[in-house]
This record gives sequence, structure tokens and C-alpha cells, in this order.
Amino acid sequence: MFKYLNPKRFYFAVGKKKFWEFIVLAVFILFFYGPLLNMFMIAFANEYAPPHLLATEWGLKWWQFIFGQKSLVSSMVQSFVIAIITTVCSMILCIPAAYSLARFKYPGRKLIMLSFLLTNAFPKIGIFTSIGVLFYKYNLMGTLVGVVIIHMINSMMFMVWLPSSAFRTVHPQQEEAARDVGAGPIRTFFKVSLPMAMPGIAVATLYTFLGSMEEAQGTLLVGLAKIKTMPVEMYGIILDYPGQAGAVFGILLMIPALIMIIAMRKYIGPDAIAGGFKMG
Amino acid sequence: MNKAKERNRMLIGYALALPAFLTVMLTVAYPIVSNVIMSFQDEGTGAFTLDNYKYFFTTPAQLKNIGFTLYIVVMTVVLAVVIAYLLALYLRFIKSPISKAIGTLYLLPRFIPGLVAVYAMITIIRDSGVINRISLLFGYDFKPALMYHASGMIMMNLWFNIPFAALMITAGLGAIPDSVIESARDVGASKLRVFRSIILPLSVKDVVIAGTFVFMSNVGSFTTPYLMGGNSPKMLAIALFDQFNKYLNYNRAAALSVIMFLICSVSAGVYIYTNLKENEWE
Repeated sequence: MFKYLNPKRFYFAVGKKKFWEFIVLAVFILFFYGPLLNMFMIAFANEYAPPHLLATEWGLKWWQFIFGQKSLVSSMVQSFVIAIITTVCSMILCIPAAYSLARFKYPGRKLIMLSFLLTNAFPKIGIFTSIGVLFYKYNLMGTLVGVVIIHMINSMMFMVWLPSSAFRTVHPQQEEAARDVGAGPIRTFFKVSLPMAMPGIAVATLYTFLGSMEEAQGTLLVGLAKIKTMPVEMYGIILDYPGQAGAVFGILLMIPALIMIIAMRKYIGPDAIAGGFKMG
Repeated sequence: MNKAKERNRMLIGYALALPAFLTVMLTVAYPIVSNVIMSFQDEGTGAFTLDNYKYFFTTPAQLKNIGFTLYIVVMTVVLAVVIAYLLALYLRFIKSPISKAIGTLYLLPRFIPGLVAVYAMITIIRDSGVINRISLLFGYDFKPALMYHASGMIMMNLWFNIPFAALMITAGLGAIPDSVIESARDVGASKLRVFRSIILPLSVKDVVIAGTFVFMSNVGSFTTPYLMGGNSPKMLAIALFDQFNKYLNYNRAAALSVIMFLICSVSAGVYIYTNLKENEWE
């Protein structure tokens, strides 16, 4: 086993092609997963002072610290509530639009399709400050409604484009067949079109929910320290709190994403995700 | 009869799309328009003025911010797209357990909250971070000098954007049928030739889409510079946040966001052009 620790022997043991593949894999994991793994390790370290690479004392000290802070715990509840409201509102608004864009033909359709690019084509922070000025005017600064609007804007493009391209892959004949045997248009939609487009819709919903869970800059700007979601608290923790608190809170922030990905793993693939960035 | 039916369908189509469309108009288009108007108004009197723009193009610190942002964004786009393209080629054409593993692993970073990723990277590159600690093991005291520097931010941007760009390009490469490549090889085309005259032209659209999205999302990137950036020069998003939140100068903030919009609209234009050029589902 140890002979593989010598690069030269390893090279000859696995062959040239494999050797380079292992290098690629190693670099990939170090760069993309190294930081996350290190954060994971730090979160369980009571003592982590330089020059030690690993914790010198393991424990849950910082977990107790985080759960002892009332404001941090309440931010978790707030985050979930806002994410759920955002996802539901966004679905109600966007899925009909997606269906319409996929199935109906009318003048101006392309323009409507394109309008959703607005939400992603421009720097978010610029859109947020523009909205912020108007929010001041209509007293929406620091309110739940204001924050939900911001979160919805963030994901509308995916929520329309992804389901729309999913609806387009459902053959019209399949819908017609259902109509022929006597199903009404609404029943056809819920029994045929919607289930068949589900993978695309699932990925879009996932994006919206997770996007809302992790939205930070807009909430920071519009929430005015009155609406504090987890990411807003995370800014404060990174900049102000001591030691390993950030690592613990970071893991807590990642948990919803990990659960959702595992639950929806069969829908998540390169094609499904890439579909959200293309109009055609 | 048929015509009435068709008109009915059209109306249903409009009715279904309208709520979402109006939401975008009301919450994005309207603020942007009123923002553009504000950017030309004097802070006190509301009279027409170009001073808000002049401020950003004449103040040395602000000019530096613009240059700094463009530098970081262009570096990010070029490096991310090139590396992502190589990664995508590897994932598409080499079938092995390792490439399969990478093909799954590279999907995850997209779902990691940005903030968490930035924090995690900071634990590696800060002066008492992992890189420094490893160097101490070997008896050196190497400080990577990535925090509060452009290179650290570019590195972070690559973390975010390589998986995304690779994903977009892989999806494009996946659409190239194996049979096309095999038949070209059969008639004697070299690997390089196949790449130049089949793979590259067929995937260039996805490369452009990936590049433009990386560009657009990085011009306004906030979290990375907010947590990793130095005090001067600043990324434009931070400068904008300062104008809005610290100096409460909404007219200048408006002007700066228009400047950022303009920078982005170049790449949005490229994006729309490539997307509309070949839209066969019409």
C-alpha cells in the first residue's frame, strides 16, 4: 500500500493516463472541497490555534455558543418562513407563465420571455438599490413583503425558463390524447403536463427555495437589520464573532441545500440546470 | 369559428403569462427606469445634471474602482471559461470512474450558499489559514497574501464560476453525437482537426452563454468583495453599497448602478444575440 505514496512508483503502477486523471481529481477536490472540509473540521474544534493544522481540542463548544444566541436561532426560523413564502408565491406566478410561453402562440411572446432575463442580466446590487429607493417611498423597507419581493426577483428567470423548457418537451399529442378521452383542460394540465414537466419544475423550485435561503446582499440592503435571515447574520458572524462560530453557522446554512439535493438528486443533472440559462 | 377559438387561446396565453410579466415590470423594469431618471437629477433640487456621472469618471478613487472591477471580471471570465472548457472536454470524452466522480462532484458547489463558500475559503487563505499552517510544518512562515487582494477574489470567483461554466459547456458538448466524431475519425481526421472543425464550432454557443453569464454575475458580485476585499480599490458593488447605505446619496448610487448596468448590457446583448440567432422551436 505504501508504495503508492511515492509519486514515481504510483505513476508506473497505474499507468500514464490514470496518473494524470488522479492528479486532476486531486486538484479538483483540493480546490473545490478542501475549503468546505476544513470548515467542517473547524466547526468541531474547541481549540484551533496556529500553527496546528488540526484542532488541538475537539468538542461542541461553538455549537453550544451558536444555539445559545437567541438572535441566531430566530434568524433560522425567519429564513425558513421567508423561503417557503417566496417559493409558493413564485410558483403561483411563474408556472402558469412558463406553461403559456411553452404552449401558446401570441405576438409579444418572445418579449415576455426576454423580460425575465432582466432579473439576471443586470447586477443584482444595482437592481436592489433601485428598488430600495422605491421601497423607501412605499414604506416597504425592513418589511417581510419587501424581502420576499427581493427574493422572488432573484429566481424568477429560472422559475419561468426552466419549467417552460420542460413543458416544451411534453408532446402536445399526449395532452390531446387526454383531452380526447374526455379530460378537461385543467385536469389535463394537472394529470398530464405537470407530472411530465416535473423534473424541470423540481429543479426550478429547488433553485428558488435555496436561492431564498442563501440570499444575502438584498436582504442586508432592504431588511435594514429588522428582517434578519441566516445569511445576514452570517455576515455579522464572519466579520464580528470570535473563533469558530462562523464554521458552525456555515454548516447550518448548508444543511437545507444538502437535504434538498439528496431528496431531488434524480432530477439534478447538467441538462436540467443548464436549461435555466437558455431561452431556446 | 376557428378564428374565435384561436383568439380565445391567445387570450388564455396572455392571461397566464401576465401576472409574472407584470411582476417583473413592476419590481425590476420600473425601478430601473426610475433609477435612470434619478441618476440625471441633482440631489437637492431634482434639476437635470450630469454631476452624478462626472463624479465617478473624474474622482481618481472611483475611476480606480471601475478599472479594478473590470480587471477582476475579465480575468475571472477568461480563466473560468478556459479551465471549464478543458474540464468539460474531459468529462465528455473520457469515460472512467474518475471522470464520472468529478461529473457528480462538480454539481455541488452551485448549491453551496455563496457566503459559506467564501467563509470556507477564508479559513484556507487568511494569514493564519491552512496554507500558512502547512508552510509552518515545513519550517517556513509563508503568508499567501490572498486576503484583501485581487488574486484572492479571482480565486474565489473561479470557485464559483468554473463549475457553472463547465456545466453549461458540458450540456452543450453532450449534444454532439458520438457518431459525428467517430465518422470524422474514420475518414482520417486527426484529434486536433476534429476538435477544431467539429467540437469547437458546435460548442461555441454554450461557451458564449457561459462567458456572458459569468461576466454579468461578477460585475455586481457583492459577497466576495464584501468579505474578502480590501478598502481601496473596491469592487463597484461595494462602492455602490457605500453610496446607498453609508453616504445615503441616492442620486450618485443611481448613477453608479446605471454605469454597472451599461457594463453588463454589453454582455447581455451578446447573450441575447447568440440565443436568438438559432431558435428553432418557434
